[in-house]
Amino acid sequence: MRHVCIVGTGMHKFGKFLDKSLKDITKTAVWEAIHDADIDARAIQAAYFGNATGGLTIGQEAIRGHVMLRHAGFEGIPIVNVEGACASATIALREAVLAIKSGVYDVVLAVGAEKMYLDDTARSIAAMSTNSDVEIMGGMGFQFSASYAMTLRKYMKKYGWTQEHFAKVASKNKYNGSLNPLAQYQKPISVENILNSRLITWPLTLYMCSTMADGAAAAIVCSEDFARDNGMDFITIAACCLRSGELGEDDDGQRHIAKEAYEVADLGPEDIELAEVHDAMAPGEMFRIEKLGFCTPEKMGELVDNGYFSLKGDLPVNSSGGLAARGHPIGATGLAQIHELVTQMRGRAGARQVRGKSSEFPRLALAQNAGGYVDGSPAALTVTILKR
Amino acid sequence: MEVSIKKGAFHKPESPDEKPYLIGSRCSSCGYMCFPKKEVCVKCVRDDCMEEKKFGPYARLDSYAVIQVAPTGFTAPYIQAYVVLEDGPKIFTLITGCEPRDDALEPGQKMELVIEKIRDDEKGNSLIGWKFKPVEEKNKS
Repeated sequence: MRHVCIVGTGMHKFGKFLDKSLKDITKTAVWEAIHDADIDARAIQAAYFGNATGGLTIGQEAIRGHVMLRHAGFEGIPIVNVEGACASATIALREAVLAIKSGVYDVVLAVGAEKMYLDDTARSIAAMSTNSDVEIMGGMGFQFSASYAMTLRKYMKKYGWTQEHFAKVASKNKYNGSLNPLAQYQKPISVENILNSRLITWPLTLYMCSTMADGAAAAIVCSEDFARDNGMDFITIAACCLRSGELGEDDDGQRHIAKEAYEVADLGPEDIELAEVHDAMAPGEMFRIEKLGFCTPEKMGELVDNGYFSLKGDLPVNSSGGLAARGHPIGATGLAQIHELVTQMRGRAGARQVRGKSSEFPRLALAQNAGGYVDGSPAALTVTILKR
Repeated sequence: MEVSIKKGAFHKPESPDEKPYLIGSRCSSCGYMCFPKKEVCVKCVRDDCMEEKKFGPYARLDSYAVIQVAPTGFTAPYIQAYVVLEDGPKIFTLITGCEPRDDALEPGQKMELVIEKIRDDEKGNSLIGWKFKPVEEKNKS
């Protein structure tokens, strides 16, 4: 089967942009990626557009990708609309990967974009609540913050994780975000100030949580042959796996997909040098790390205390700032994770640049993204492994 | 007017000596259980093995969180939780019958099903659904 790679990534800064439309931010991310790849945009043969709530937020329920990408300069080529809540962008990326693998196309575009800040906050919140089974959980006031809180409470009781550990993780990610010019929040916040911020649902406080955001991210995906033939700088996609949640003995699908991704990439968690994980509430980073097999839950608290997951630590996690600092425009997040990994692997991350284990820059990196909630487990789960 | 949050999902007692129950499914082939009802077993992926099963009124608390910032229709603070139904699956629920405090409950403790109002809907109807309340356990073993 053909090897697939990324030759360019781009982002529109995450944040609050009331004067910009979903078209505007999509166009910026797409063309940043095109310029980054230094490719003639006419070479792009198909596009995969990820977005979660455009139907409810801006009223563009149908043909979202067609509308946004026509504005970005694309006519004629096939466009596929992809939705999977907070995992929409990675699902778009995976469709792009499958299309290249199939041999039908040589170069395609994957985009994720979301517009959450509107003049009507209630509408944004109502749209967000559709990321669960609206009939049951939506109707009963289910909140994602509470879902994270319930999971964290279990780890606290069983493994001695504390609210202070959670604040340390959040503070680390706020610091990382402060070094990321594309992050929504670029202000470092101390552990103390995080603990003292408003309680959202114990043990989570305001500064541990992601907020609404606008933003877009994109990647140019092609076959390795195409990249080589055109002398392009490429990062190989060693695995791009998608599963749905499930109810196993000790697994809601997160361990299952990690195992699958490592098998596909033919490596293990010990080989990974950098990771972006899905932490809509920053402390969620800890159970993502554990489920990805980077360490045991027993060891986690100590590693957090010792800065193991910080920029200079043994395994930097969420160097971008993660969802709570970089921002979480839900349908864009997955490709923003990819953008961060690619930027780091190319040594272009500036003040937040991390080192590789045996090379100047990381050569093996992982992104984990999750979207929605159904029947007690995540709706969509993805793990992507990049290799240089 | 009273409206059920999910038709056919539960039985509301009509007299004081009746207990409420939830209506879910059990797979006669593999034992998989779920609530609300499904006609297909997600473990066997078969449509000929699911039987209706009543659950309740007791459950054990799995985990909970006290919501301090309420969505539309709810008043904070209130408690959301997962409970494991007696001889049944783990389900999402709201908690009633205790103070909405962060130390109000203990995972593993016994809970009892209550059918009551969840919130008002957009048309002013009372949405009725399931909640669980803590049960005093006299002979804890």
